[in-house]
Amino acid sequence: MKKSSEKTEKLKLNAAKFLKIIPERLKKIKDASSEEIKALRSYKPNLLAAELHPQIQHTTVAEIKKLTDDVTLYTLKADGGRLAPFGAGSYISVFAEHNGVSFSRPYSIASSPGASADGVYEIAVKRKDDGFFSKLIHDSFAVGTKVDVSAPAGDFTYEPLRDAKRVICIAGGSGITPFRSMILSILDGTEDFELTLLYGAKRESEILFKDELTAAAEKDGCVKVVFVLSDEEKDGAEHGFIGAELIKKYAPEGVYSVFVCGPQAMYRYLEGELPKLGIAGKYIRKEVFGQISDPCGEPDYVKPEKEEFELTVRQGAGEKHIKCAYNETLLSAMERSGIAAPSRCRSGVCGFCHSKLVSGECYTPGRCDGRREADKLYGYIHPCSAFPLSDMIIDVPYKN
Amino acid sequence: MRYDYDVIVVGAGNGGLAAASKLTAAGLRVVLLEKHNLPGGVASSFVRGRFEFEASLHELCDVGTKEEPLSVRRLFTDLGSKEDFINEKNLFRTIVTGENGYDVTLAAGWDNFRQSLLKVCPESEKSLDRLGALLDKTTEALAYNDRKKGRPNKLVMLLKYGKFLISASHSLDDVLRSLGFSYRARMILETYWSYLGVPADELNAFHYFEMVRGYINGGAGIPLHKSYGLSLSLAETIIKNGGDIRYNTEVTRFIYDENKRVTGVCTKDDEYYAKEVISNVIPHNVFGMSGKGNVAEKDKKLLNARRFGLSFICIYLGLDKSADALGIKDYSVFIAQNASSRRQAETEMGMYVVNCINVAVPEATPEGTCSLFFTIPVFTNKTMKGVTADNYKKFKSDTAAAYIENYEKVLGVNIREHIEEISVATPVTFANYFGAPNGTAYGYELSGWDGVMARILSTGNELNIKGLTFCGGHGAKGDGYGVSYVTGIEAAEAVISRLTGKNDEEKQ
Repeated sequence: MKKSSEKTEKLKLNAAKFLKIIPERLKKIKDASSEEIKALRSYKPNLLAAELHPQIQHTTVAEIKKLTDDVTLYTLKADGGRLAPFGAGSYISVFAEHNGVSFSRPYSIASSPGASADGVYEIAVKRKDDGFFSKLIHDSFAVGTKVDVSAPAGDFTYEPLRDAKRVICIAGGSGITPFRSMILSILDGTEDFELTLLYGAKRESEILFKDELTAAAEKDGCVKVVFVLSDEEKDGAEHGFIGAELIKKYAPEGVYSVFVCGPQAMYRYLEGELPKLGIAGKYIRKEVFGQISDPCGEPDYVKPEKEEFELTVRQGAGEKHIKCAYNETLLSAMERSGIAAPSRCRSGVCGFCHSKLVSGECYTPGRCDGRREADKLYGYIHPCSAFPLSDMIIDVPYKN
Repeated sequence: MRYDYDVIVVGAGNGGLAAASKLTAAGLRVVLLEKHNLPGGVASSFVRGRFEFEASLHELCDVGTKEEPLSVRRLFTDLGSKEDFINEKNLFRTIVTGENGYDVTLAAGWDNFRQSLLKVCPESEKSLDRLGALLDKTTEALAYNDRKKGRPNKLVMLLKYGKFLISASHSLDDVLRSLGFSYRARMILETYWSYLGVPADELNAFHYFEMVRGYINGGAGIPLHKSYGLSLSLAETIIKNGGDIRYNTEVTRFIYDENKRVTGVCTKDDEYYAKEVISNVIPHNVFGMSGKGNVAEKDKKLLNARRFGLSFICIYLGLDKSADALGIKDYSVFIAQNASSRRQAETEMGMYVVNCINVAVPEATPEGTCSLFFTIPVFTNKTMKGVTADNYKKFKSDTAAAYIENYEKVLGVNIREHIEEISVATPVTFANYFGAPNGTAYGYELSGWDGVMARILSTGNELNIKGLTFCGGHGAKGDGYGVSYVTGIEAAEAVISRLTGKNDEEKQ
């Protein structure tokens, strides 16, 4: 290989070299090996991609532990080998079948990233009376049940370049799961930041992982845990709701980040509280937890006159006609009708359900509208966060 | 299920989208199969918080203005796309930090470009005239070559286009030397080399000039709604023309008949058959899905002789202050320790590019914010040495930290404490989304023997598979954003001519 020359004298070049281009090429090809083309996995980036982002991971329920009356912890073990590693705070889509149709819901991984090397993910599932999927899991998952999960995804993770070194984590109910993973990863040295957990619940009996969290705080100086009970007073726990005053009480001196994960009601309450902290917006991060089930509370939503609409769903060469209520997402309506539509985050953010709006109108709440500018321009929607305003025709990709 | 079409296009990257647009406009029944759930391949964008990040595009060359459109703008208009472009007034700012370093900004438009180079290299006047003449001659020679459909008369070429032949058969650095440029002027002019992925002492001069001419004359063009807007606009064209696009539909096998003609493709659940197949997928992967015995020995040898083109590490930052407030003034900055492209390629952190889209398109992010896009060429597998699935997250974070620190030092700005969103892509990301072997974003390396001139001269003699036409950045014209659209158009035109012109089909 010639080195780029620093000489400055003018170079004389010859056009006849043009005639040598092809002979040189043919010789190179002639001298090359004629073995079969190598498999993709023989290249390091492709191998790592397969390890980090498998399309699907096959697991088996290895252990079931009741945490409270309505929350159960499921330990999923890989069917051979490891599971994909992840940043603490990530989620997986859990697949389950009902009447021969495959459904999925996102669950934060509650276990430590380190455990993925041993082929273990844990998820905590709260049984909700109106929750079709959580009931399906509670009723059908037993030790030995085969469960498929997606690769880990999501951005609710600690990033040293972006977040402050000290983080106040505000958890509500089963929103503790990503923080449990973060605490475990601080304990095992994977993550390096100071975490103060403010964990809100109605009463002590509803706190998940109480002993474990208390022990973690005793063991590691980087972890602090504060329980905040709204409906009862207990020694060693704060009483009331988690608001600006309580956050300030436990906030460190100087810069800090606030991470929030909990039910919708908690987000709504904190919307008024967090600005009082006077910290830059970049230091506040909220996990999208749970889908928006009713658009009526959204400030810019205008309820349509009709309560139910015709939804025409094109998929590949096929077409189906279904009903969609004004207050259910297009995705829910499709799933209810047995249409296998792609989805992941179910919060409007990840874009996995990206579909073409052929005709009609729908409403997407601004706070969960993760579409790109061009999507809006060319009529693309995220059915997981879109509510019908008229009869609609949509073109939905296959579920892969 | 079995589906029958006139043409199957595999892969909705730039080439596949352009091909399917063109084919459907000609009234053919077309299905475009894409394994991802979005069109565009790397021509995409993604959302984090309140930021939408351009995934890959810096700028397109040969765009021109609305009043005087050049080839790329015309191509989109012809295909029915209504996407608009912003013209950037500068080519780039290039900063070399090491010994005899410089900090130079070159302007777009021939006269401005000339002035901006003369300001720092006043001795370049005559060389610049010679370069101008050479660029013009290149245009003429290519026009002649096109008229002759890639089979020019060698004697005419030699007599009339000798200068072109020199640049077509020598390295960029040699040709710039032959034009009498000083070392410093050469290094400045070679700044764009990483866009083609081969250092200037090995890079085909004609290829580089073709690209640079498109930047200087046409001015860099930045699509108003990012490269993803271009992708969606072509998808829109295809749908409007009656074509079918199937997302989340990965081709798993190419179907060959007993004459080794490609007659269709398989997906997980379905079979698609057609008179012609166009593949935007790189030949390596197509051969991997072709079964033993269907691939010619010489084509296997060609692929085994080739090296993969560059991959990249990209850092995307959403900042909670405006570019103005942060003191960021340039759309494109090339930062290197050493001026020599060879040295840049051989050194870790040898060179990288940082783009601030807000300088060109202020409204690209919310008011009071801006975004930065770092592009770091990955020349060797050394960069990823020691990276495992378990330390991958840390690798990304550490790498980003090192480049951000360097950028802050070189530009004298503070961005670290304004990072509101950050995302890092690596060769693993490219491998994940596109299945590109070794995570290449540039197809095959345009090294000496496999440079663009050698490929163009070999067109028709290589990868000659009946029923299958390739398009994309791995093709004869080399990688490059605008070029990949052109390859799609050319593949479509070849197919249209075979399917509608009887004689041509007989020959097949």
